[in-house]
Amino acid sequence: AAMRSRAEVDATLQTAKLNPAELLPAVHCFSFGPQAGGGECCLLQLEPGLCAELEAGRSLIIRGEKDEHAVLCSKDKTYDMKIADTSNMLLFVPGCKTPEELKADQASCNIIHSQIAGFSKNYWELRRCRPKLKKLRKLLMEDPYEGPDSRKDQASTFSKYTTEDLLNLIQASEEEILHQLQVIDACKIEGYWRILDFDYEMKLLNHVTQLIDSESWPLSKVPLCACLEELGSLEPREMIEHILLSYGRKYVDDGEVFFEMHEDKICRAIAQMLLQNAVKFNLSEFEEVWQQSVPEGMTTRLDQLQGLALVDKSSRPETIFLLKVEDLPEDNQERFNSLFGIREKWTEMDITPYIQDLCAEKQTVGTLLTKYARSSMLNGVKVYNSRRPIS
Amino acid sequence: VSPSGGTGALAQWVLLELQGEVEPRQSTDLAGSLLGDLHYTCEGVPVLIVGHHILYGKVVQLEKPFAVLVKQGGASQPSPGEPHGHYTVTALIKTKLLFKTRPKPIITHVPKKV
Repeated sequence: AAMRSRAEVDATLQTAKLNPAELLPAVHCFSFGPQAGGGECCLLQLEPGLCAELEAGRSLIIRGEKDEHAVLCSKDKTYDMKIADTSNMLLFVPGCKTPEELKADQASCNIIHSQIAGFSKNYWELRRCRPKLKKLRKLLMEDPYEGPDSRKDQASTFSKYTTEDLLNLIQASEEEILHQLQVIDACKIEGYWRILDFDYEMKLLNHVTQLIDSESWPLSKVPLCACLEELGSLEPREMIEHILLSYGRKYVDDGEVFFEMHEDKICRAIAQMLLQNAVKFNLSEFEEVWQQSVPEGMTTRLDQLQGLALVDKSSRPETIFLLKVEDLPEDNQERFNSLFGIREKWTEMDITPYIQDLCAEKQTVGTLLTKYARSSMLNGVKVYNSRRPIS
Repeated sequence: VSPSGGTGALAQWVLLELQGEVEPRQSTDLAGSLLGDLHYTCEGVPVLIVGHHILYGKVVQLEKPFAVLVKQGGASQPSPGEPHGHYTVTALIKTKLLFKTRPKPIITHVPKKV
């Protein structure tokens, strides 16, 4: 189509009975560009901060396999994507100037021929969400590392994952993924991220705690060098250092590297080792064995086991059993269904460690309980049960 | 979703929001056909002449800007279902021209009765 001329524009103004004196001199003549009807462009509404990220040249990634709902990831956050329909038509136009821009640029052309790049009745809306990290653990648990002597590793046909692989498979931002790898004590072996097999992990921990005991080192000052020297013949040096990093806080004193051991984390791991051998234990018997099993100088406490084990105070005698929060469903409703299937009524204190991780930004455990549970009083104590009947 | 143009600044486009459907007068392809003329009054009120209608609107600074995404590779359209695939950000939109008022029809010729 031929471009409109000034004469044609003026004629239209006259027909429309608009007074040119009341208008800015410049006019935009809109036509549809060559790709406009193709539907290749779409609109994404940006949450605060994302615009600045794009302007800084950073990318946003849309992640999700065919069976997953797509999420958008920035460098450090994850967002659910949802289509929002408007009843209006949205046209996107390059090179269209605002009145301020026209007034500021006095030398601007009289006629600006603008091509509409595309149009849409809908756009993508974003909502910040929890990163979907359960899959990360699931992938790494496909093939836990059992140590260098394991014949399994050499003949392994299982998938192993590099950072790049994980970025492609996990619906979370890079920072969230790297942080989670640290939280679950994953380590890189030959370029692949691995989780240690629990028995192997306990074997390594045991080497270290026995050495601490025989050398009478204070738990807050375990020397790295000496550990590597003494244990280097038993296990790979990287594994010794990894276990120290997993169960201790690294620091430097006078040029030497030391570790302050995490008493709670060590006690917790030993509890897991004991509890995984049976369906449930007599509580008082367990507490005795547990205290005897931890390194000299450490004190066991039941609150170290939050999210790992559950005490049944209604049974006689009282019992304790393994219940790991990371084994429970990731979806909110499914998580609550699962918990209420295990136990009909929960106190807030007991259920909190098992729903804490579901809290989104600015959400509290209280909000979740209000939404997914119903409260009642039992023997003077507030308890929560399912909103719906559990079969 | 990568910003195009590498280190260069992202283009700033403008959104035009109109009520109803956009239908070309001709039955031929949309591409190349005219939509209308956009004027601004001296006070900065946008005035859009589309066909036989005058639309008055307003300039709105978007609280949540938009990114315009163009799908890379395959000719398939980004379906409303799932946005899989690699996208490039072609432009950012921080301003929209909202035309919400009912269009005023332009009366082009009133035959005079003798």
